Amino acid sequence: MKGEKHRIFPVHYDPGKVLFHVIVKLSDAPGSYSSVLDLIRTKVNLIGTSTYTLSDGTAIFSGFAEALSPKETAEKIRQLILRSNAAIDADVREGKDGLLIDTFHTGFAVDSADYVLMRRGGLAHVFIHISKLLGSGGEALLYDEGFTMGKWEAETLAKRFGSERVKNQAGALTGFMTAQGWGEVDGKAGPAKGEMTVFVSDCFECSMENSPRKGCNFMRGYFAGASNAIFGHEYGSKETKCVLRGAKTCEFLLTPAK
Amino acid sequence: MRFRYLILVLSVQLGLIVLGTLTLHSSLISSFVSSAVLLESVSGFEAMASDLSKKGAKAHAPASIVGKSGVKHEFAFALMPDSTKAKVVVDTELSVKDVDEMKVLKFYVKVFDVDSEKAILCVSPRLNERAANLAKEYGISVLEDDVPKKLIAKAAQAVKEIMSTGAK
Repeated sequence: MKGEKHRIFPVHYDPGKVLFHVIVKLSDAPGSYSSVLDLIRTKVNLIGTSTYTLSDGTAIFSGFAEALSPKETAEKIRQLILRSNAAIDADVREGKDGLLIDTFHTGFAVDSADYVLMRRGGLAHVFIHISKLLGSGGEALLYDEGFTMGKWEAETLAKRFGSERVKNQAGALTGFMTAQGWGEVDGKAGPAKGEMTVFVSDCFECSMENSPRKGCNFMRGYFAGASNAIFGHEYGSKETKCVLRGAKTCEFLLTPAK
Repeated sequence: MRFRYLILVLSVQLGLIVLGTLTLHSSLISSFVSSAVLLESVSGFEAMASDLSKKGAKAHAPASIVGKSGVKHEFAFALMPDSTKAKVVVDTELSVKDVDEMKVLKFYVKVFDVDSEKAILCVSPRLNERAANLAKEYGISVLEDDVPKKLIAKAAQAVKEIMSTGAK
């Protein structure tokens, strides 16, 4: 199967529709999830759902849903769900004027680490602003910030998964960046001994159309910083191809410092 | 090469006229004045570099220097005894009003990246108070004058003093 962007639902807009956010705390009994789905399927059409296990063994079901009848209410759906033994607790929150916002979740957690979610265009726009404001110095600043973040991320991953595992699976870990929306990242050894080449298609840093920038210095710094932390010595980082310079993908060459 | 600046300035001014933002009269006057000042500044630093080079110094104007980040920075003038490291870098900020702290910051981040021993910012007419304080905090030497042309001589003098003392 071809990869897709992960759809998550902190917000949904569909004018004229009656929308609900259905949250259920599920018991750890087998079939809990499907029994709740069976109950609500006659009342709502699910737009998007997620389930995750909590540390106490229970699970949370969270679903954005569209009412099948305009007369449907949040309380009626909640009472229906609570009839099931699978539901320990339930909360149904209604949207307003076709706008449904997740007011239950308080952020994002990835592998137990807190994450912040923002539009990639917004971040790319901030980078453009820094570049415009400070010129080439702004680009140097972005490289430095990328380096700092890459180094910190790699050190954090090494603490979590172990230094050797991170070192041995550095290539595979690029998939983690892809899943987080940085772009489709892939890496390989070479061309020369000790060097590494990283390919990024759909790179977030150059995703803004008509960007006046000429390269992805944040990403360039990120890969240098991450390599430094993973392999324990300094790397020179050069962006040999960039979408902003007319290439189809961005390409970074990492060379061990002599 | 130098006339590219002039063409660029004139093009922008022409665009503003079309949009009705400027009158043709004021636009032509300001564009010719600013372009002429800019050209004079560029040629002034070139002459300064040429003069110092004749005396054995490795001076460049304009100067392109690759910083620690790998980003290439442009300076109006640089003294580089070593081809990889700058001893002195000089830039100019010419304005019709007092120059603000953003221009100091813009210069500083370049200086920080190229790791120059000395940094001189030539300003006309002058820095505003916040910008002056920031420059002092960052260790940037500031040369000010209402007449941009006079800044070249002041910069030349400052560079010669640095060369003679070898001061850090």
